[in-house]
Amino acid sequence: MRTNGTVDRRGLLKVAGGSMAALGLTAAGCGSGSGSGGGDGTVTIRYAWWGSDDRAKRINETIRLFEKKHPKIKVKTDFQPYLDFWKKFNTQASGGNPPDVFQNAIGFLRKYDEKNVLLDLRQQADAGNLRMRGFRAGLEKFGEVDGKLLGVPVGSNSMALVIDRAVFAKAGITPRPGWTWGEFNAAMTKIRDTQGRAGDSGLYGVMYLYDLHLRQHGKAFFTKDGLGFTEADLTDWWTTARAGVRSGIHADPKKVAQIKPKSAVAGELAAAEFTWDNFTIRYTSEGKSQYGLAPIPTTDGKRTGQYLGSLMLSASRRTRHPEEVARFIDFMVHDPEVAKIMGYDRGVPATTAQYEAFTPTDEVNKQIAAYEQQLVDTGVLEPITPHPAGADVAEAAFLRVAEDMAMGKRSVAEAVEQFFTEAKTALGS
Amino acid sequence: MGSTVTQHRTASPGPPAKATAEPPAPPVATTGPRTRRSRRDNLAGYLFMSPWIAGFLLLTAGPMVASLYFAFTDYNLFDAPRWIGLKNFTDMFADPRWRTSVEVTLWYVVIGTPLKLAAALGVALLLNQKRRGQAFYRAAFYAPSLIGASVSVAIVWKAIFSDDAIVDRAQRALFGVDVGGWTGDPDWILYSLVALTVWQFGAPMVIFLAGLKQVPRELYEAAEVDGAGPWRRFWNITLPMISPVLFFNVLLETIHSFQIFGSAYILGGQGGTCGPADATLVYTCYLYVQGFENSRMGFASAMAWMLLLAVGLVTAVLFWSQRRWVHYEEAAR
Amino acid sequence: MSAVTSPRRHAGSLAWHLGSLAVLAVVLYPVVWVIGGSFKPNDEIVGSLELFPANPLTDNYRRLADGIADIPVSTFFGNSLFLALGSVVGVLVSCSLAAYAFARIGFAGRSLLFALMIGTLLLPYHVLLIPQYVLFQKLELINTYTTLLLGKYLATDAFFVFLMMQFMRGLPKELDEAARLDGCGHLRIYWSIVLPLCRPALITSAIFTFINAWNDFMGPLIYLNEPDKYTVSLGLKMFVDQDGIANYGSMIAMSLVALLPVLLFFLAFQRYLIDGMATSGLKG
Repeated sequence: MRTNGTVDRRGLLKVAGGSMAALGLTAAGCGSGSGSGGGDGTVTIRYAWWGSDDRAKRINETIRLFEKKHPKIKVKTDFQPYLDFWKKFNTQASGGNPPDVFQNAIGFLRKYDEKNVLLDLRQQADAGNLRMRGFRAGLEKFGEVDGKLLGVPVGSNSMALVIDRAVFAKAGITPRPGWTWGEFNAAMTKIRDTQGRAGDSGLYGVMYLYDLHLRQHGKAFFTKDGLGFTEADLTDWWTTARAGVRSGIHADPKKVAQIKPKSAVAGELAAAEFTWDNFTIRYTSEGKSQYGLAPIPTTDGKRTGQYLGSLMLSASRRTRHPEEVARFIDFMVHDPEVAKIMGYDRGVPATTAQYEAFTPTDEVNKQIAAYEQQLVDTGVLEPITPHPAGADVAEAAFLRVAEDMAMGKRSVAEAVEQFFTEAKTALGS
Repeated sequence: MGSTVTQHRTASPGPPAKATAEPPAPPVATTGPRTRRSRRDNLAGYLFMSPWIAGFLLLTAGPMVASLYFAFTDYNLFDAPRWIGLKNFTDMFADPRWRTSVEVTLWYVVIGTPLKLAAALGVALLLNQKRRGQAFYRAAFYAPSLIGASVSVAIVWKAIFSDDAIVDRAQRALFGVDVGGWTGDPDWILYSLVALTVWQFGAPMVIFLAGLKQVPRELYEAAEVDGAGPWRRFWNITLPMISPVLFFNVLLETIHSFQIFGSAYILGGQGGTCGPADATLVYTCYLYVQGFENSRMGFASAMAWMLLLAVGLVTAVLFWSQRRWVHYEEAAR
Repeated sequence: MSAVTSPRRHAGSLAWHLGSLAVLAVVLYPVVWVIGGSFKPNDEIVGSLELFPANPLTDNYRRLADGIADIPVSTFFGNSLFLALGSVVGVLVSCSLAAYAFARIGFAGRSLLFALMIGTLLLPYHVLLIPQYVLFQKLELINTYTTLLLGKYLATDAFFVFLMMQFMRGLPKELDEAARLDGCGHLRIYWSIVLPLCRPALITSAIFTFINAWNDFMGPLIYLNEPDKYTVSLGLKMFVDQDGIANYGSMIAMSLVALLPVLLFFLAFQRYLIDGMATSGLKG
């Protein structure tokens, strides 16, 4: 290719320099904040979440209710599926233009706190704009990190074993609270032998389940700033899993990958799957059988290591309207009417006022309510371990590397090494 | 005007002889003093180019330069970028997943691009004949490209390539090989991705068709009089005459293949995974995972510029090669 | 066509149709699967091996009439249509101007600009996303369609500039030489001679632009903040749940409905592809 020599090259540099200057060189931290104030004292706040159109319809209804009671506050909505939500959120927050208030989860609290994205709502709570009383089962502590109030829970959920009830009944298995891993494995083997499908769908890659297993042994998946277990721990966990995949106790990972995004239980590859209790609804819409919830197996016959998880509402530190945002969150977590509209869409309502305002009538939601009530009654619930920044990345790596291992693409030793390498990069430890 | 074309065309029945360097050499001044002509051309050139130049300066150059800067920094999207020199690049070469992504991408480019172009050209030649129902076929063959990157494509593809579905059955019947479905198998899923790409041959096909329409019929008639068979007509007339378009398709399809993202991401799963056991972890997929899911935009930018260098090299080779096989009209005098 | 028919001609015609039908079967099988899928109940779609459902349902389509997330489906279509048509106009004008300059005018610095343009094709867009977002934010254009259209009017789509340029370079040079001798300027040559002759390339570009704009997901996702402004491609994703689980039936039905405008656009314009050189207006 011909070039016209130095003149053009210099011109190019000038051009590049000019647009660099226009950009302000760095992209970070040059936003103008979000939201706006009208001349008549009306304030507009932006609210974003992830979810489907069904959730959006419910939330729109709650917002209409809120705007009726707070005529000076207008709420603009924005929502996407989970992964797209975070892509957009990252871009907006990086550009300094995040939504004023948004749906959040435990794995992101510390991450976005470290990046100065989240507003400490403590001040608003102290000022009386946001009530932090009346939460169930200690949930008010759930969004706290290092004494800062970074998120307010809207609903609770917990890990559970989702089972195909028809298959379990035919195999003559009735899981009871406190059953042990030994009993669990025997049950899975029996299903494999008698029901023509695997027992479990692939528990070895579920980070939140391994967390429970570790907690039963006095450890945890995460500490405040790193991993709470050793290479030897994980080698044990995955060696057992590998044998289980080979013997058909766990479903063939290739088959599971093939029917994704359908779950292995609804796809009739496995009879049970560890997941969050409020995801049960998906199985009913995907599969033809009856699905139920079974307790988490234990090591000592008592301790499950469980805690309540939750979706939260967080505010962004750049919001120009912290007070209005706090009032909005307060309304969404306490107002009984909101609970009647939302149902169990984001988990069992977090506050007693909302919990009592809504009684589920359908089979699936009744089961979820009963399951969580039983957790409270048996007293197995423990406080949650805080997640370090990068926990979301470590979780994704855990799932992926476990799948590599199960498919035989890596030996257990290689898989453990790969996971630790990636986790250390992600957690910066 | 029309007569000029016809005269010119019939006057040169053979293929235009040779091509020029890229881009075409300025036309030789035939009238007026050379300086006045070139000054006028400069003015006209920059006037015609002004939207592009404005767009480049305003929208493209800045972000490109910014990403080049990020490539040498530790940039997590939130804190100000911190200069770390070449560390992103050394990290990259030491990263086994990066190497996997390079391998996967090269396989994909080497297998997928020629197949797709061959399908596009073959079907375009088929459709370039005046036959009944031609318009219907053209629309039908283009339909896959319309469905494009929508999520439903992923569902369809899984349905077609899964265990006991049509492809699996055909494979067992024809070759006696039982893979048990392609989309869950790390050794096979890449081929289902290639199949998805080849299936969407509509875009280059339409470009080929448009190119074929520009070939003057007189050339074929003259060749037929000379007794040239279909193969010779294709080789001596069609191919040289559509070579600018062929060059365009080869270049752009290659560039796009290196940058393939959407279908790999949709087909391969979600949330930091691109296929079982990273089997469809194409380059941009990994770049995306690092940049947006792992918040390592510095690393992702370094990856992007590495890709730019590699594809730039391929592009330069293609441009260099075109003087041997691409025939532009201005040389045919 | 002449009325002369010979056995050879019949054989050729038969072979042609057989060949076309064979390609058609392979190409359309997945499309037919999608159509069949849109009439299946939700739990029969993923992993289903059947082409058509045993008991076809129209629920998936009927649900669309209720709108998505309180927004009528027509809103999404209107928005997408506006953006797609706006993009077509922008690309046709701005890219053909640049293409003409590259193909037909010998201005100083052309090689450098051309190399820069090809360079813009080589960088994956993900790394440009954030700097571009910051840029539009500084221009206070977030949540406007300008973010999505501006580039189209400023010829940032190098693909189309290059495509049109390749076609213009295929046109006989004698045309503009003659026009120049008649005293025509570049604008006149561009408008009256080159553009009409490049109709196949322009139509092709129009079709691609329309489809790209229609299917664009990343741009609308990042830049549009209100559901009322969303496009069809964003609306489709509203069927996807928090767990990545979707209401596949409605999604497939909607993606088929979303296909119709694109198909109509293609059908309306493809006939101009049929007769390129032969009849395209040489009236200049």
